[in-house]
Amino acid sequence: MSIPLGARLKIRAMIHMAAEPIPFFWPMRTFIHHNPLHGLEHLPFPQALAVGAKLFHGQAYLPRETYQGYLAADKIDRTSLQQDIAAFNAKHNRSIPGIDLNQCLMTLITQVKQPVSASPYLANAADIHATLHDSALSSIEEINTDSLAGRLREQLLNGRPVYEVVDLLYGAQIGEELDELVIKSCLDFFDEGQSVWEMPEREAGFFNAWRNVAKRNLRFFLRGLRIHRVLAEADKPEDIIAHVLHELGVPEARWMDYFTYELSRLHGWAGFIRWRTSAKHYYWNERYPGDLIDFVAIRLTLALALLDEHGHGRIQHSLSNIEQAIDQYTKATYLRHEWHSGDILPAMAHTIEQAIASGKPKPIEQAFIQYVELKRVHEAREQATRLQKLFQSMDAKAAAKALTADQVGQLLQILADFEQQEGMIWLRSLEAKATHDLLNGINLLPPTPREKRPFTQALFCIDTRSERIRRHLEGAGDYQTFGIAGFFGVPVSFMELGKGSETHLCPVILTPKNLVPEISAAGPQDDAALTALEKAMHELKESVLTPFVTVEAIGLLFGFDMVGKTVAPQIYNRLRKHLHPDKPPTRLLIDKLSREQADSIVRAVQRAVIGKAVEQEFGLAPEDITDRMIRELREAALEHLHAPLNCAETLELDDQAQKSFIERLQTAYRINRSFAEQQMERLGRIGYTLDEQVNYVGQALRAIGLVEDFSRFVLLVGHGSTSENNPYESALDCGACGGNHGLVSGRVLAEMANKPQVRRRLQEQGIDIPDDTWFIPAMHDTTTDEIRLHDLDLLPPSHLVYLDRLRNGLTAATRLCAQERAPSLDIQPNPRKPAMASRFAQRNSMDWSQVRPEWGLSRNLYFIIGRRNLTQKLALDGRAFLHSYDYQVDPKQRLLDTILTGPLVVGQWINMEHYFSAVDNDRFGSGSKVNHNVAGRFGVMTGNLSDLRTGLPAQTVLKDGEPYHEPMRLITLIEAPFQHALEAIEGVATVKNLVQNAWIRLVIVDPETYQASLYEDGEWQTGALAAVNEGHM
Amino acid sequence: MYELIALITIFFLPLFPFSILFNALFERLPDLRLRGLLLLIWPQIGLGLLHFTSANVNLPLAWVTLWAMLTATLYAFRLLALREMNRWISLLATSSWALLWIPALNGEETLTLHLSAFWFSAPLVLLALLAMALQQRFGAAYTGLYTGLATYLPRFSGILVFTVLAVTATPLFPAFFVMLGILLQSEPMIALGLVIVWLLWSWAGARLLQSLLVGQPNNPSDEITDFSAPLTWRYTVLLTGLAISGMYLTGVSA
Repeated sequence: MSIPLGARLKIRAMIHMAAEPIPFFWPMRTFIHHNPLHGLEHLPFPQALAVGAKLFHGQAYLPRETYQGYLAADKIDRTSLQQDIAAFNAKHNRSIPGIDLNQCLMTLITQVKQPVSASPYLANAADIHATLHDSALSSIEEINTDSLAGRLREQLLNGRPVYEVVDLLYGAQIGEELDELVIKSCLDFFDEGQSVWEMPEREAGFFNAWRNVAKRNLRFFLRGLRIHRVLAEADKPEDIIAHVLHELGVPEARWMDYFTYELSRLHGWAGFIRWRTSAKHYYWNERYPGDLIDFVAIRLTLALALLDEHGHGRIQHSLSNIEQAIDQYTKATYLRHEWHSGDILPAMAHTIEQAIASGKPKPIEQAFIQYVELKRVHEAREQATRLQKLFQSMDAKAAAKALTADQVGQLLQILADFEQQEGMIWLRSLEAKATHDLLNGINLLPPTPREKRPFTQALFCIDTRSERIRRHLEGAGDYQTFGIAGFFGVPVSFMELGKGSETHLCPVILTPKNLVPEISAAGPQDDAALTALEKAMHELKESVLTPFVTVEAIGLLFGFDMVGKTVAPQIYNRLRKHLHPDKPPTRLLIDKLSREQADSIVRAVQRAVIGKAVEQEFGLAPEDITDRMIRELREAALEHLHAPLNCAETLELDDQAQKSFIERLQTAYRINRSFAEQQMERLGRIGYTLDEQVNYVGQALRAIGLVEDFSRFVLLVGHGSTSENNPYESALDCGACGGNHGLVSGRVLAEMANKPQVRRRLQEQGIDIPDDTWFIPAMHDTTTDEIRLHDLDLLPPSHLVYLDRLRNGLTAATRLCAQERAPSLDIQPNPRKPAMASRFAQRNSMDWSQVRPEWGLSRNLYFIIGRRNLTQKLALDGRAFLHSYDYQVDPKQRLLDTILTGPLVVGQWINMEHYFSAVDNDRFGSGSKVNHNVAGRFGVMTGNLSDLRTGLPAQTVLKDGEPYHEPMRLITLIEAPFQHALEAIEGVATVKNLVQNAWIRLVIVDPETYQASLYEDGEWQTGALAAVNEGHM
Repeated sequence: MYELIALITIFFLPLFPFSILFNALFERLPDLRLRGLLLLIWPQIGLGLLHFTSANVNLPLAWVTLWAMLTATLYAFRLLALREMNRWISLLATSSWALLWIPALNGEETLTLHLSAFWFSAPLVLLALLAMALQQRFGAAYTGLYTGLATYLPRFSGILVFTVLAVTATPLFPAFFVMLGILLQSEPMIALGLVIVWLLWSWAGARLLQSLLVGQPNNPSDEITDFSAPLTWRYTVLLTGLAISGMYLTGVSA
């Protein structure tokens, strides 16, 4: 089967569209927090949650019992809850005599643990009414098979893939088997170096490589999976997709929904492939291309083969045949569905099983009649019991007795409608309390003017973990702190010393243009013996046969390693550290190279390569290789000079050998013009122009309002985490640096800001940085709360005398911060002294059995854009992203625009990732870390085979099975005049959309009018701050 | 006359297809006490009849052994797909009792044979009690319909695990030593068959536990209560008693 090009393109477009709701999955190396429902952000929050919950089969809100616990702990605004219930009743305008609906619904959600409404099919209101009154149920009328068939069609043919329908009717478990086979195929193809034996022919692309293997797969053949029959129908993935869907009888109008459903079943893998395809210059995708079209084609091929295999020609597996079976054998289909979907009444399970197994109409008819009656009674009793519990809690038994059957029906409808919206009502009330708490604590008074400049100013990342350390540092002495996105506004593509790949140090929504290589400031170093030994051990472990011998020979060594890591992680790690050479001192190349400099570098490299080539090819000693010889060879390779060469005699080359060597230089050693141009181009990416540097430094300082009163030390504190045996380590690093450590960004900005030329230009712009101000990069380890200063060898001698005081302040903050965090980390016994707490935190960072080295960004809740004074006196328990902002230095809202576009959007991703991982950790999070295994070096799976686990692990958001992260939307507070902030929001389409669709809760606090404005239900609700604080807004 | 009695014996030490009678009877008995009694008495009758006829009827040793092995294997294999717990008990009983033919035909002591049958039957009675407990709580003792019992019925689950271990002849329980005894008396090929049967029992037991105890609980009602502490203790004492008896009383004739 071959379809026209137009049809192929249509299928491709459909799959791309169908994949829109599937979130990207970034490789674990640079864990990126993201909103799992990012693809649905165009919808209002409640609506998107309903769609997302259905699509991903997950829960969108916490269970009622958890919210009830929050209410009991005074974390929920009861008034807000009551108001929302009243609003619900007012909107629906329904009443039931004798029942106060406001009280009824309030009782329902605050006192009844489980939802009351169900959707009984066989029992009607009269049956439930009769059960409530302990009366016998009226005799059942003949079940309308047409209506039953309609209901079955609705349940089974609602866009589900065909194999799911077959599973529900025949218990075939094809879905599970299909997922397993697809996961195995993905693991084989997308592997990034974990497997010793690679899948063959991966260069041909995902589908082609898989097809070549599948056609020769003996296991498929032996089990009767006739893949080759399906594959024989077409060559291209689009053609296969069309063929399978025609075979399954799926009408073209439903293809897109079908694709979405298929992709959402393994949304982790689909998200990874989606990201991989869209990533620019991703090495593995360039080498081994694979996209979602391939993925869907493989899935559908396997699905059809499995359906054929399980059916053996007896099970109908096209949609039209299934529809026909529903109409013709409605009762049998109903019983099958009840049986295989797990809805069956246990008491009848055996009878139904036997009736289905017999396949005869009479036993099926008898079982059906018996079952339907029993099920009706069961449904009525279940519903009545739940209602009775509600009436009991309301203390309204008498009123309940007086209800007629119709009124019972009405009440059930109201309860069902309300319970659908209940989650949102709880969430709003939870957020209302959190908003009031924040507004109650903020300080709008202008900061008291300082008599002298602070001892040190420190710029921290906006990360919630910085809030604590900033508070403690400010408390430790004369320190002033600021919050700024952890990449300090400078997008850097960093090439680390000794590594050939670039790392993007900026939020993933940006792509850095400038490359910053790290260069060693020490002489060349030999590899330590230990490094060589480690490499050898690694080779032995990874090989196919050697592990058999290795285990016997040196297995004991690994035992020592294990005991050391487990029993005394701190001492052992310290010892191991001594065995490794320290990283040499390095410098970052941040200045743009001139054309001449770049040319000179290229020439130097070419000369060095030619020198090595001559040495290796002709065995000449370095003293025999002259500059003239190398120059001549280089000119010849670049075709500036032609044979015969003067050096030919020294090298003993005849004409032919001379020509051949020049060709080798051009091809094997890449001394040619086109490669030289490429190198020039790459060198052109290195560093920043002076203008760019001035701009970045100026923008960073203005964004946080630091334009005067500079201290002697200005710390640029990047952050990162340290943990052992933790695939999620990068999730604990700086999100603003693309899931990497933030130190390099601090070093880059410090180097720029310390440059006299930059300062001169800034002075012209009104930012006068005194000569004695020195920017020092520093690193905040969020697991230990240690702050380490870097590049101190560049520090002017005049500043050295103040270093001790600075270090003491930092140590004090480190210890106090560790002590504050200790109770939440369950450190036993609870350390009483800050120093002891700090030691425990350090142990946590080295303990390979520690599944929770720190809480990361868990419990994040607020995003505060304003001056430090606003929340300086408020202990926010590490729950707030703090971005410094002074509206007075930003009359055109440009800085606010930048904050809203970058940091706020990233903050919202982080917040939503935590929200969904907390409400349904199994589906949106990644479950327990304990069962995780690294897959293909880019993701984790639960056990040895599962979907790629997206989201956060249970240990990050749950504590003892209950949410540690209280899931709420990001409450964003902007301190600025209302109009000023509003114009900025209106100007940033993404943020405007997030606010209007209620993905973030926005409050604007006007320091000039002392009014707070909250965006709620599509409008701004403004009130005086005092009124807000009393909860009347 | 003796031939007729020998034929009747095949119903009581069940060999396929005569085993159908016991299975049908067990399934139809409504009362738990009767079921327990049936489990305890049925093989004892068979052994009594066999003892009565063995001196007078010359049974073809090899054929009957093979027949017994096939019966045991068939029912053990069938266990893997069964979801109704009472049928599971009845089929396991059939599978295990069929194996008693092997020591009986090899001239094992009468007392040992009767005790062996008892050691096979006694844990099955406990399991029948547990099946009844499930029936009372959920309406039927059926696997796969309600999962995750370990999370909300921890005591019951604990007892169920040990009882299933006892019925599947796991070490320390008496059935294990009975199986070991039969294994030692058997020819290599028969021993291989025995090991397969044993493996199938264990596999079926693991499947039974897996489909009841693990997984997410599917909306357990508040009315479903766990075993009380005294009841749990009673079961614990019985199981411990079984294990201790297994260590001291099996192979008594030796």
